[in-house]
Amino acid sequence: MSTLLGLLAAAVLFAAPPEVQVPANDGWVTDLAGLLSAQQEEQLELLMESYKQGSGHEIALLTVPSLEGETIEGLALAVARSWGLGDEETHNGALLVVAQAERRLRIEVGRGLEGALPDVVCGRIISHVITPAFKGGDYAGGIEQGIVAMHSAIGGDYGPLERTSRSRRTGGGLSGLIMIAIFALMMLGRRGGGGGRGVRGRSDSIWPWLVMGSMMSGRRGHSWSGGGGFGGSRGGGFSGFGGGGGFSGGGASGGW
Amino acid sequence: MTRSTPSRSSGRTGLVVLGVFLLLVLGGGGCVVSRYNGIVAGEEKVDSAFSEIDNQYKRRNDLIPQLVATIQGSADFEEGVLTQVTEARASVGRFQLPADPGSDPAAQAEYLKMQQGLGSALSRLMVVAEAYPDLKTTSGFRDLQVQVEGTENRIAVARRDYIDRIQEYNTSLRKFPGNIVGSLFGLEKRVQLEAAAPSEREVPSIDFGGE
Repeated sequence: MSTLLGLLAAAVLFAAPPEVQVPANDGWVTDLAGLLSAQQEEQLELLMESYKQGSGHEIALLTVPSLEGETIEGLALAVARSWGLGDEETHNGALLVVAQAERRLRIEVGRGLEGALPDVVCGRIISHVITPAFKGGDYAGGIEQGIVAMHSAIGGDYGPLERTSRSRRTGGGLSGLIMIAIFALMMLGRRGGGGGRGVRGRSDSIWPWLVMGSMMSGRRGHSWSGGGGFGGSRGGGFSGFGGGGGFSGGGASGGW
Repeated sequence: MTRSTPSRSSGRTGLVVLGVFLLLVLGGGGCVVSRYNGIVAGEEKVDSAFSEIDNQYKRRNDLIPQLVATIQGSADFEEGVLTQVTEARASVGRFQLPADPGSDPAAQAEYLKMQQGLGSALSRLMVVAEAYPDLKTTSGFRDLQVQVEGTENRIAVARRDYIDRIQEYNTSLRKFPGNIVGSLFGLEKRVQLEAAAPSEREVPSIDFGGE
């Protein structure tokens, strides 16, 4: 609830918009807080590039040591717009922002993904997938599971993943993570229980199955592409965002 | 022969003057047209930014019945806070916004004020609801909470974008030669959105610590 007050306060601040300092982009992963090892960053970038190749949507990550007085909502929006995440026409980008000192995080969703990643789904990914891991001090795990859950909710395909012994291990760990995420979300759906209608009922019961379905297709895509993927593909071959940047404030915030 | 020379040269001067005059008129006309188009495009951006705010308000409006139903299910909830929200929603619903809101700044301002009133009633409701543990812990309520927060954030973003578009448009009307073109075609500056309603400034305490 305090976040709502925070938002109202943000609305007051927005009236005289202070220029948000947008950090320089460093590929799919811009880890200014240093929460990931070089290897973890490389694996994540590989994954994000594979999403881009598979379904075209762009999921990026930004971690900052501190918000420096900015709200997480203000920072996430300014960065997502300024980096031009997502395609210019479809605006299918999403950004995960983690602020270490304030222990705040946000999933910012581009206009083209708001249907696939509604606020409720983002809220659940944050509160049931990412923050439990963060509370245990596992930033890398929380971030990776969160990114995977976002991709699953979008129902995206995987493009070719680099075929080295290391990335194969990532692939294995990945399906495990997806399973964990889905079970967590399904349990939650169950616990929500009766009574609700409309958006709530739908999000409680059907969407974990959708995620499940998309995961199936995602994994199939993955194994097919594995066949012909020797040589060639470079790890995290980032070639810039699509230049869209169409964000209207969709997504959810949380803290740990 | 001596007479024809000055007349020929004066004819040539006349041609040059005419050419320069035509160039000025055409060039000036082209400049006016492109400037005019630019200003009108800016005005359209202002209007579409306003309809984006309106969309987000509608989104919030659609969310409220569900929220009220969920909260009403909770035992002995303070009726007063709920009534305020439903009444504010009803009065917003009764308000007829003109088809072209940009043409009626007074109606537009009143509409925005009513929506702000609904917003603060809603935020009070959410604060009060926090005090009911059996409500707070249901996933149905938590989902609604996320949706309300998301909607308020979208409204804040849409309002800020609207402020930016108005500022750009008004600046384009103030700068030369936009000011001349603007007065030529009777284009008027738009009323800037008020910084924030007083109710928004009365936020009691701000805790960014999350849940």
